[in-house]
Amino acid sequence: MRAMWEFFFGVGWLATLTSYLTITTAILVAGSLVMMLLTWIERRGLGYMQDRKGPNRVGPFGLFQPIAEAIKTITKEDITPTDADRWVHFLAPVVILASTVAAFAVIPWGNLIPVDINVGVLYIVAVSAVHTVGILMAGWASNNKFALLGGMRGVAQAISYEIPQVLSLVSIVMLVGSMSVVDVIQNQMDPYGNILSWHIFTPVGLLSFIVFWIASLAEGERPPFDNPEAESELVAGYMTEYGGMKFAVLFLANYLTNFAICAVTAGVFLGGGNGPGSDIPILGTLLSVFYFLAKSLGLFFVMVWIRGVVPRLRIDELMHFAWKFLLPLALVNIFSTSLWIAIIRWGAEQGMGIAEALGAPGSIARIAVAWVVTAIINVVAFFLVARLNATRGVTTYQATPTAV
Amino acid sequence: MDFIIGLIFWGLSALILFSGLMVVIVKNIIHAALWLIASFAGIAAFYFLLEAPYIGVVQILVYTGAISILMLFAIMLTRQVTGEGTQQLFKRWWVAALVAFGLFAVVIVPTIWFPRLPVAERGQPTYWPQSDRAAASATPAAAPAAQQEPQPEAETPQIAGAFEIGRSFMAEYLLPFEVSSLLLLVALIGAVVIAYEERTRRRRILTLAEEAELRRSVAGLGMERPLQASAQLPPGKSEAGTAERR
Repeated sequence: MRAMWEFFFGVGWLATLTSYLTITTAILVAGSLVMMLLTWIERRGLGYMQDRKGPNRVGPFGLFQPIAEAIKTITKEDITPTDADRWVHFLAPVVILASTVAAFAVIPWGNLIPVDINVGVLYIVAVSAVHTVGILMAGWASNNKFALLGGMRGVAQAISYEIPQVLSLVSIVMLVGSMSVVDVIQNQMDPYGNILSWHIFTPVGLLSFIVFWIASLAEGERPPFDNPEAESELVAGYMTEYGGMKFAVLFLANYLTNFAICAVTAGVFLGGGNGPGSDIPILGTLLSVFYFLAKSLGLFFVMVWIRGVVPRLRIDELMHFAWKFLLPLALVNIFSTSLWIAIIRWGAEQGMGIAEALGAPGSIARIAVAWVVTAIINVVAFFLVARLNATRGVTTYQATPTAV
Repeated sequence: MDFIIGLIFWGLSALILFSGLMVVIVKNIIHAALWLIASFAGIAAFYFLLEAPYIGVVQILVYTGAISILMLFAIMLTRQVTGEGTQQLFKRWWVAALVAFGLFAVVIVPTIWFPRLPVAERGQPTYWPQSDRAAASATPAAAPAAQQEPQPEAETPQIAGAFEIGRSFMAEYLLPFEVSSLLLLVALIGAVVIAYEERTRRRRILTLAEEAELRRSVAGLGMERPLQASAQLPPGKSEAGTAERR
């Protein structure tokens, strides 16, 4: 890419700048197109699940509905409430969208890698954490009680669920030994196209996937965790006072976040663009992009499915779920990950003389023992934590018979 | 490439200085906090420019994402947010200015006058005097003289990568690391204790369903009973609250 632009310009720095700008533009355009597809999938899928049709008038199967809506929102009047904090009100959608888009810098589309920084996994989490600032700005600047409540809820929820999200990624980072997203995906590559090398098919990776997926749903404010914009309680939460293009930007950021979650989950747990034939020179790149999109969109369909099935949680249930269920599970998972690594890779010099008896590092006997041990620990931990939560945690209010 | 880096550097510097200035100038405290977040983000971008992505990411995660939210929450809990009538300059503002400039000088003067500070010891690569080592490795004749100090493994010594930081936390600086974690633990326990006391002392707020039930029992049973009824209402939920109600 850079060589091509250097041929055009003859100047080094201009070529570098242009090549980066080209990549950025490609990511932004592809992101917006995917977002349109996602809204269509969501509405058609929900319609299918609720036994109705969904949008089916504009274009074949209603595929052009998002375009019609984009035109509608662009032509709407842009309103700012009189008592709102004008600049903060204007900047909030910008901050939210920017933080969301920044995460796409390190997400590889199959074999197409925008940037590979060696702390990519942490970068994604860190950058998407900034959108809490935007949510608080939107809630506060709207000068509206519903918006402020929604903003506060959004921030509390995002901060709480960030912790299990990061801790579940810690065990994957321990497995891989690197925080680069590309290395994480390479680690799941198998020369024979064996999908059992994906992280999700180990006991450690499965528990990590469960925790990460649930925590990410809450981070992306997907139902059943959409308390910040609970329409039956808070009108639209922090988006109440936004209309026209600003609302469209918030909506776009929302769906881009969802797509980023799906893409990261597909990359970290489902092998990204890996699949049969993804290492052929040119055709393989196309195939890997196809695999990546198929996995991501499949995960998005699971999101829609969850939305159609599970009712919204109450705010205190939400908090208890993060702190009393997901966090202990993530911690136990870190423990069993270290056991997994110790059994599979370590020998006498690291103090694991017992493992030597099983054979060489990485042998089948070691892998089998590691499988059994970590599976037992994780399953026991899962049911123990679930049971402790069922008996001791603050559960739903039960109506008692009236005291006489 | 150098041109772009220079452009980015000066742009970022201008952004950071301007937003730092606005933190002090702006009257609305929330706006001041938002400007502070902008300067945090600029500093994170600086770290990325210095090829220390780990520290940059941690700066974003901790300062831009978490501490700023904490500050915004704290500000929203205070009484006067807009600060229209507050006086920003006090009579002896020059004392504060003097102290600030003095502190700044303490940092900046050694940086300019003695650029070769011994940053790392014990055979570790010093990070700052890059030019010497670059010159030494460029000319093979001068290389043996420079071999006196142990050469770093990599070409460009990284002191800010995730790997190096993790290693030095777990080996060289284990004691400070553990002590600071103990400090955080103490703070955490203290917060739990304070919050717990507050909660036990406070009257429990009923949920809507409980309140409706209470009202129904009041209507059905007259004026004497509801106290007893409320004592039995929350099944094992909060003994403290019901005891106080009695």
